[in-house]
Amino acid sequence: MVVRPYVEELKYLEKINDHCWRIKKGFQPNMNVEGVFYVNSRLEQLMLEELKNSCRPGAVGGFLPGVKQIANVAALPGIVGRSIGLPDIHSGYGFAIGNMAAFDMDDPLSVVSPGGVGFDINCGVRLLRTNLFEKDVQPLKEQLAQSLFDHIPVGVGSKGIIPMNARDLEEALEMGMDWSLREGYVWAEDKEHCEEYGRMLNADPAKVSMRAKKRGLPQLGTLGAGNHYAEIQVVDEIYDKWSASKMGIEEKGQVVVMIHSGSRGFGHQVATDALVEMEKAMKRDKIETNDRQLACARINSPEGQDYLKAMAAAANFAWVNRSSMTFLTRQAFAKMFKTTPDDLDMHVIYDVSHNIAKVENHMVDGKERKLLVHRKGSTRAFPPHHPLIPVDYQLTGQPVLVGGTMGTCSYVLTGTERGMQETFGSTCHGAGRALSRAKSRRNLDYKDVLDKLDQLGIAIRVASPKLVMEEAPESYKDVTDVVDTCHAAGISKKCIKMRPIAVIKG
Amino acid sequence: MSRNCTFLVVGGGIAGVSCAETLTICCPDETILLLTESSVVKSVTNLVPVARYLHKFDVREQNVSDLRAGIGTIVDQLAYINSGEHWARTRTGLVINYRHLCLCTGGAAKVFSAGEEELNARIIGLRDTDSVLELQRRLASAKDVLILGNGGIASELAHELHDVNVHWVIKDAHISATFVDPGAAEFFQLAKREPDQTATTKPTTAIKRMRYSELLPTAEQEEEQQRSKRGAALGPDWHRSFDLGGGCADSASRAMPKIYYNSQIERVEQSPADTALSVTLKHNDGSVEHLSCDFIVSATGVQPRHDYETDKPFHLAADGGIKVDEMMRTNLCDVYAAGDVCTAGWPNGAHWFQMRLWTQARQMGAMAGRSMAAVHEGETVYQDFCFELFGHVTQLFGFPVVLLGRFNGQDLGRDYELLVRCTRNKEYIKFVLQQGRLRGAILIGDTDLAETCENLILNGTDLTPYGDDILNPDIDIEDYFD
Repeated sequence: MVVRPYVEELKYLEKINDHCWRIKKGFQPNMNVEGVFYVNSRLEQLMLEELKNSCRPGAVGGFLPGVKQIANVAALPGIVGRSIGLPDIHSGYGFAIGNMAAFDMDDPLSVVSPGGVGFDINCGVRLLRTNLFEKDVQPLKEQLAQSLFDHIPVGVGSKGIIPMNARDLEEALEMGMDWSLREGYVWAEDKEHCEEYGRMLNADPAKVSMRAKKRGLPQLGTLGAGNHYAEIQVVDEIYDKWSASKMGIEEKGQVVVMIHSGSRGFGHQVATDALVEMEKAMKRDKIETNDRQLACARINSPEGQDYLKAMAAAANFAWVNRSSMTFLTRQAFAKMFKTTPDDLDMHVIYDVSHNIAKVENHMVDGKERKLLVHRKGSTRAFPPHHPLIPVDYQLTGQPVLVGGTMGTCSYVLTGTERGMQETFGSTCHGAGRALSRAKSRRNLDYKDVLDKLDQLGIAIRVASPKLVMEEAPESYKDVTDVVDTCHAAGISKKCIKMRPIAVIKG
Repeated sequence: MSRNCTFLVVGGGIAGVSCAETLTICCPDETILLLTESSVVKSVTNLVPVARYLHKFDVREQNVSDLRAGIGTIVDQLAYINSGEHWARTRTGLVINYRHLCLCTGGAAKVFSAGEEELNARIIGLRDTDSVLELQRRLASAKDVLILGNGGIASELAHELHDVNVHWVIKDAHISATFVDPGAAEFFQLAKREPDQTATTKPTTAIKRMRYSELLPTAEQEEEQQRSKRGAALGPDWHRSFDLGGGCADSASRAMPKIYYNSQIERVEQSPADTALSVTLKHNDGSVEHLSCDFIVSATGVQPRHDYETDKPFHLAADGGIKVDEMMRTNLCDVYAAGDVCTAGWPNGAHWFQMRLWTQARQMGAMAGRSMAAVHEGETVYQDFCFELFGHVTQLFGFPVVLLGRFNGQDLGRDYELLVRCTRNKEYIKFVLQQGRLRGAILIGDTDLAETCENLILNGTDLTPYGDDILNPDIDIEDYFD
């Protein structure tokens, strides 16, 4: 990372309007295009403060500020348009989370980068509706949560209760949601309401390592831990009544279930394997990047093609995973209310991916081009009339599911034409963080504990903040701010807001 | 009298039940018999049949006259195995012909013995629901209790007992030594001194881990069971359902246990003056101490239990467990073993080692089931990935605790370093790093880092570029590697 004094860095940043800034070429070396990021005034402060802190001597070394990561991505070969930062952008491995970038498939120099997809490939959100209302569920809240915990394994080391053997896994990797449908875990109409109909056709299980398969097999049908969770939510506000009704949401108080999960260890292994292979090939293909974590390969190279096929298999894994949990959730509800999931109208409203790379057609400089769109921590948001969205959403635009940090509110948005033009049909995915986040006023207190550890005779280091961070009142990027910014920028439209009443998390 | 079955599983604890469950799913058309001498642990989830694998199975059937697909249970004790001819005989003389056999006979609680029967009657081994009920009964009128042991159950007990003076005798230099390091032990002790951290009433939050209940046998067997020390082991969250209060309502209700480090019990005698027990402790340095108590709880681990005869001897490991390979096979033909009774005899994965815990019993039982099913169907299976990474989730002293990989630097010699972050009463995080890579972690408190660490260990990600900042409290790495 180039480090200049903060005031020098600012010369490369320019505010375009109330919700958008540009990053000029030169901010980082070798930028092929400009960068852009979407913020409101509060989010703007956080972005700039993060940059400021990184300019100080002895600043947070391995973690780059979002603006720098956007600029490094802009330096990748074959990138088209701009390197885009959505409002929830925050520091991540390689690409920042919330950094979206598109590459020209017809340019032989274009690359594909696993860091632009993320380790948790096809981490995404699925939303189920019900015809229950808050008053039906509130008195049973605890039992319902317990029932969900009984059906959906959570936490480290949890094993899926839907049994799978190696052969099932191979088929699931190839067929995605078609496998779940065949096995009877989902309804046919669920597929309609899923990106790619829940199956990427170019998936090739043969390109996935044995280790990834072994790692993934026990995890199918589990939530894991970390930022994966399931929430029982209640519709809190409806901004766009007509679009909401197309999704089956009629009134405030209606109960929905949100499942936030991905491919977990499987995706991690696929990404790790690819990064190793690509790093080796970069010298051969004379690819240079500003950051080692941006390891990538020419799209048409064997490494690039292998990764895309393995990534598609991982995407299928995640769809099967969410489908298994859909099945278990339906069971849990049906048991609790002594009826059938059908009678509870527990349909999938939509399923979105926010860590994935897709081949899409977009208009660039007046011409239609085929692009490889990397969306990491970013959701596809296609507008009304787009051929790839389901028939019943043709007039509303694609539903976009945005989960806040667990326990805060979530949103459903719809895609817009403006988003299609400005951000290649992409929008935010959730809440974000900033590097200077003081998560819980930690009061580090080591002496007694360290004295005891000394007995072990092993070298010990302690983690402590190096800089005195100014006390920012709330240095995380609230999902409401993020969603409002997208709405104000016109790249997606607010439709529904939900609040959680129970959380299932490891 | 004889029976035939394809699969015979011996033991009704978690390993046995996991094995049986897996078999019924992998081979739904085969006969499976579960031989148990007492109760059968049954998981609470009971899926409604939809897809081809899932069907409800009835674990209660006791007298299986016509063996159809599903699991039948027989309440009896295993006496003899003839592995060459593939049959087993129970104590009552029933002969069972099998194709594949899995032994999940668990371990017998190691209970400290004072020598005399009258004194031993006041030493309780803590293993199953019955013994916990016994503990509750005695507690009600007790003023002083001695806990012997330093593992998970002893630690949980030391935390849960209230309204009684607790004397905790451990042979190590710090508490909960089987799980945590001295730093974490100190963290627990400092936390316990803040009264607001511990709740006096049981929390009403949902139980997140698998829930188990016990199916007791018929009334005739109940009496018999009460006298024996046998019975399925205590599962996770056992103490949630029991209120463990003593007879001293007037003392500070959550007083700290008095801990006796580096100590062993040398002698137990009846006190001449009153009904109490007089205990003599010997410390590592040779010094001696006396204390008195109403009874003793011995939570001192288990001894693998295989008290049945076989036509050929088992290969045993140094700790007395039956040696198994990575497919859970013993040295006897078509005989497998899983859970506390066995000892892992395969070269351990980079981040795994055996500890006699419920989680491992379940994993091993399931692995044995898959392995037997594969042999039966003529298929190949690979060892389950869970044996690549040690992972255990528990609760100690009111804090959630996650242990991953080589969390105490096990088998790393001195060739590693620790990175620690600690906030009193809130969290204790310890990373075990070797050449910049995470090899193990202890996470205490609501850290939200369990999945991140699991992935970092398994990915082998080089964390050198981040230095100490990887645990910088101002930086959230929870989804950085997503």
